[in-house]
Amino acid sequence: MKIKEAVAQKASGLYFNNRIILPFHAHFLKMIIDDEIYTDFSISSKHLFVSEEGSFTNIYIKDFKNIKDAVSRYEAVKIVCVEKGEDVFDLKNHLKLALYPEGRHNIKIVFTDEDILLIE
Amino acid sequence: MLIKKLIILFFTLNSSILAAQEHHNAVLPEPLMVIPFILLLLMIATGPLFYKHFWEHNYPKIAIILGLITTLYYLLILRDSGSILHTMAEYLSFIALLSSLFVASGGILIRVDAKSTPWVNIGFFIFGAVISNIIGTTGASMLLIRPFIKVNQNRIKPFHIVFFIFIVSNIGGALTPIGDPPLFLGFLRGVPFFWVVQNVWFIWIPTVILLLIIFYFIDKSDLKKTELHKPENNDAVYSGKIEFKGSKNLIYLAVIVISVFIDPAVISWVPSLYPLPFGIREIIMFSVVALSYKTADENILRANEFDFEPIKEVAFLFVGIFATMIPALQLIAHEARILSDQLNAGVFYWATGFLSAFLDNAPTYLNFLSAAMGKYALDVNLQDNVRQFVIEDEVYLQAISVAAVFFGAMTYIGNGPNFMVKSISERSGINMPGFFQYFIKYAVTILLPVFVVVWLIFFFGKG
Repeated sequence: MKIKEAVAQKASGLYFNNRIILPFHAHFLKMIIDDEIYTDFSISSKHLFVSEEGSFTNIYIKDFKNIKDAVSRYEAVKIVCVEKGEDVFDLKNHLKLALYPEGRHNIKIVFTDEDILLIE
Repeated sequence: MLIKKLIILFFTLNSSILAAQEHHNAVLPEPLMVIPFILLLLMIATGPLFYKHFWEHNYPKIAIILGLITTLYYLLILRDSGSILHTMAEYLSFIALLSSLFVASGGILIRVDAKSTPWVNIGFFIFGAVISNIIGTTGASMLLIRPFIKVNQNRIKPFHIVFFIFIVSNIGGALTPIGDPPLFLGFLRGVPFFWVVQNVWFIWIPTVILLLIIFYFIDKSDLKKTELHKPENNDAVYSGKIEFKGSKNLIYLAVIVISVFIDPAVISWVPSLYPLPFGIREIIMFSVVALSYKTADENILRANEFDFEPIKEVAFLFVGIFATMIPALQLIAHEARILSDQLNAGVFYWATGFLSAFLDNAPTYLNFLSAAMGKYALDVNLQDNVRQFVIEDEVYLQAISVAAVFFGAMTYIGNGPNFMVKSISERSGINMPGFFQYFIKYAVTILLPVFVVVWLIFFFGKG
């Protein structure tokens, strides 16, 4: 599934403690959780581990035991990413997502609206 | 000469000082008891840089343990519960004001649809500086930091946030007792409400203008670079509209501002809750915290990405700072009183400023006010004496007031809102400078020269 399709279809992600599962593949550029800013998505990153499986992506955030502890009720995990296969150098392709942990394991995925601050 | 006097003031603290203290008839602490305070300051400075995750998980425990060491020393060794109760009362007033302004302003959403230019940013700063005298530097910072980041989102740099901290979170609030906690403490002790604006405006205006000029040139140069590298930003169309949501929270802000005056020292019929370390004012402010959060519009809280973490961080760190700094402040106040005959307005300016940058500026202000009044054999605990002092020679109070507020911008720990603005900026994706980088790259190179100019024009050779 493409990122835009996932958001349009209101597809949910999942979280299990410090693992986020997103129903798409993407080129990740930036991720903000709490006041941590991550830009290293490589295999040698000390803070993140990203792996693709089938149609979904796992992101393990090593700095936190549980995502729910890191973001408050009104906060989101924020991501800047690009659809797989699209030109990463074209800023118009940069998608800004807000991931809201909901309930025990669900993650609501939306594009950031005009009020959510997400500086690239 | 000035440096010599400063050195005398700061480094002649010796272990043989065992005189009775003016306020509580308490024995002075051992100079070694400043170690918990120094340790806490060092950890605040180095923690986020060198052992970030340990620090993030453990700062509440560390602040409380270090605070407890000092508290137990005062209670069990010095048998001085007065200093602890007094500090606890000041801390509760401080955190009640900060948290109520933080939560109430968190329920207000301001949208500004304008192009990021140096003049628009200067407009933000001027507006912020003025309203920080009405709703405090905390309220003004919380209201404006998000729209400020939003307007500048395509080219925001750390220096934008740093100047915001300089002007809106600190220097702006130097004109009224609501602006910054030290002035508020002065007001409670008897400094007339309008004395500050009448005696500080001519220092405030040139200082703010000087900083705005420096900002203008840095921002103009940055804008040129951005336009070269991101020409697509120039095509965007802006309506110039300003939208305001959550107006009912203005009522809460008004309640906070009015409650500032609800103190037995200001209004005689207000009951004192002594020996409790808080009063009616603090009860009102904490009620506003609960009410404004419960009744806030969820959409606004979500749009503001409201989180209690920044105020929690301030609350825990400052509980440690307030407790551990008691010995340092008492020793310095003692020395200042001994040396008060040799101290002129310039020394009061630099000494108050230096300590306000690293300690909390409210008790620093009071201790130096006490020392300055000592020159005229007046007591800071007597309102009539404070009023007499204000008439006697305003230059000392000017120096202490200006320095306590202005120098709060020198470090992240100099004033409560500094930390909050830093935290909100980081959550937005801005890589903020660390403690030392902020101090050396911005405070020492930009602010300090401005403060030297203020000293040369207004306080050099006076008093």
